[in-house]
Amino acid sequence: MARKHYRIGIMFSTTGSYSVVARSMLNGALLAFQENAEADGAVTLEPVVVNPSGDLERYRALSLELLGAGIRQVLGCYTSSSRKEVIPCFEKFDGLLWYPSHYEGFESSDNVIYTGASPNQHVLPLVEYLASRVGTRAFCVGSNYIWAWENNRIFREALTARGGTVVAERYLSVGDTEFDQVISAILEQRPDFVFNNLIGTSAYAFFRAFRAACRARGIDQVNEIPVASCTLSEPELAEIGDEAIDGHLSSSVYFSSLESPANAAFIAAYAKAFPGGPVSSADAEASYIAVKLLAAALEQAGTDDARAVRAAVASQSLLAPQGEVRIDPQTYHAWLTPRIARSTLNGQFEVLLEARSPIAPDPYLVQSSPRFASAMRSPVLRVVQS
Amino acid sequence: MTSRLLQNFKGGRALVVIGRGGKEGSLESTLAKLGVTTEYPEIVDGRAQIDVGNLQSERDILFVDGDLEGAVAIEVNPISRLPPVPVIGLVGVEAPSRLKALVNLGATSFLRKPVHGGAVYTSLFMGVNQFMLRSDMHARLQDLEERRRSRRAVIRAVIFLMQQDGLDEESAYSQLRRESMRARQNLELYCEEFLSRRASAPDIPGRATSITLRGGNKQAM
Repeated sequence: MARKHYRIGIMFSTTGSYSVVARSMLNGALLAFQENAEADGAVTLEPVVVNPSGDLERYRALSLELLGAGIRQVLGCYTSSSRKEVIPCFEKFDGLLWYPSHYEGFESSDNVIYTGASPNQHVLPLVEYLASRVGTRAFCVGSNYIWAWENNRIFREALTARGGTVVAERYLSVGDTEFDQVISAILEQRPDFVFNNLIGTSAYAFFRAFRAACRARGIDQVNEIPVASCTLSEPELAEIGDEAIDGHLSSSVYFSSLESPANAAFIAAYAKAFPGGPVSSADAEASYIAVKLLAAALEQAGTDDARAVRAAVASQSLLAPQGEVRIDPQTYHAWLTPRIARSTLNGQFEVLLEARSPIAPDPYLVQSSPRFASAMRSPVLRVVQS
Repeated sequence: MTSRLLQNFKGGRALVVIGRGGKEGSLESTLAKLGVTTEYPEIVDGRAQIDVGNLQSERDILFVDGDLEGAVAIEVNPISRLPPVPVIGLVGVEAPSRLKALVNLGATSFLRKPVHGGAVYTSLFMGVNQFMLRSDMHARLQDLEERRRSRRAVIRAVIFLMQQDGLDEESAYSQLRRESMRARQNLELYCEEFLSRRASAPDIPGRATSITLRGGNKQAM
């Protein structure tokens, strides 16, 4: 029987301020395409790769271009702002966007399959870990867009409920690398830890500058003011550089260091296919998973019609590099396995804690948060002496 | 006053009063994601069969199709204009008369038909929280109204003390305020009880008898 052939859109900003993660996502996706081509399955997939370069208008234009060319399944986006920008296009043309990155939740479009982590799978486990083992006074920094705003809001409410305090929140434009004032404020406040929602080059610059500022003042940053993130991955550690690579906490559903046959095979195949890097990441794995699930759903549905594929993916499960993954039929988000890890000098993560099994996605935190928003206490800001 | 915001609707029940034809779109499936169950009250002779007595404002949300004329009969508070539970209007025909009917039912939020899944959380959030906010405002207004009515007792108590103890107005007021705070009562209630105690103690020497601010009597003090 002839194999059915489908063109699949791939839309990642492989240039721009967050291109390192995006290139690892592209690699993860392309690896799955390669494995699909080598397998004798019922479908063949042809990637049609576009690069919006981090420009929101380009995301929208390229989505329309892909959908207008008859492509109905697109894997893409890293930032939530880009995803929210393109969703109306997918809803209008009834296409399906496969979104392979962790995000802040409070969304559930019928035209999106979410294979990255929901907030109950990244930020809430991190709050639990930090409050019980590190401390309860947090200083939040983030890139100035929806991801950091909302993730900080969820973080603040969860930490406040545990008796903790957010002493301040600071936001910088995506790509901004000027951190002197923020770091001065952190050192003035001396929180128990920094909660980081900066992305891309901003994050790498912050890690370097913060470590250097602490060193200059004789502060053991790793032990006295550790930085915790829901975004930090292996290719980003390489970008931070040796001077500040170790001791950072990260909450994620995947780390390259996981020990399992499935992950060993994934890491080996990835390294062989992309010797020039960037190395794999949680978002690369989520992209890999998305293409695998898409291929299985296309095979089951026998068509690339969005509704048929969406219906088919609900019954798929996969032994992924992180462990078992399946799509929740109500929210079309993934069951994933949360983990907390700390970065090491060799550019990897040492896993400190992990869930025993995949946990259900809860994008609206219906099962994971109180009914009422916690009282909006202002962060305890103090005037920074100039 | 700080109003609490409801942001997790788990355990809620949506009563969706809508005409036949499946135009509710993705309302039910999206509500399910938000932890809200959906029921469709039967419509008999043009009237939705809702057990109004069993409605609970903490749990229930009423979605009303504006295209159904008079399908919902619920009592709206004549002063606050609030229904017993939050009402969210489902808007099909965008005519002023139909929107007005929904406003008259006390709708605090709206959703266009066919319902788009991406709009449901916002509408629910606004509808429920506006209902709570308006309920809080109404309670506060009632409290202020009650205190306004009781203000006469403060005036009478001040005059009483001025006449009885020879205090000036400011000292009399300060004394009453201090004592009301000590009694953990608002000033108006304290003054009412203060006057009531004085009224039932006829042997107080020098008790004022010339205070005539009763029952709309506008004689000069």
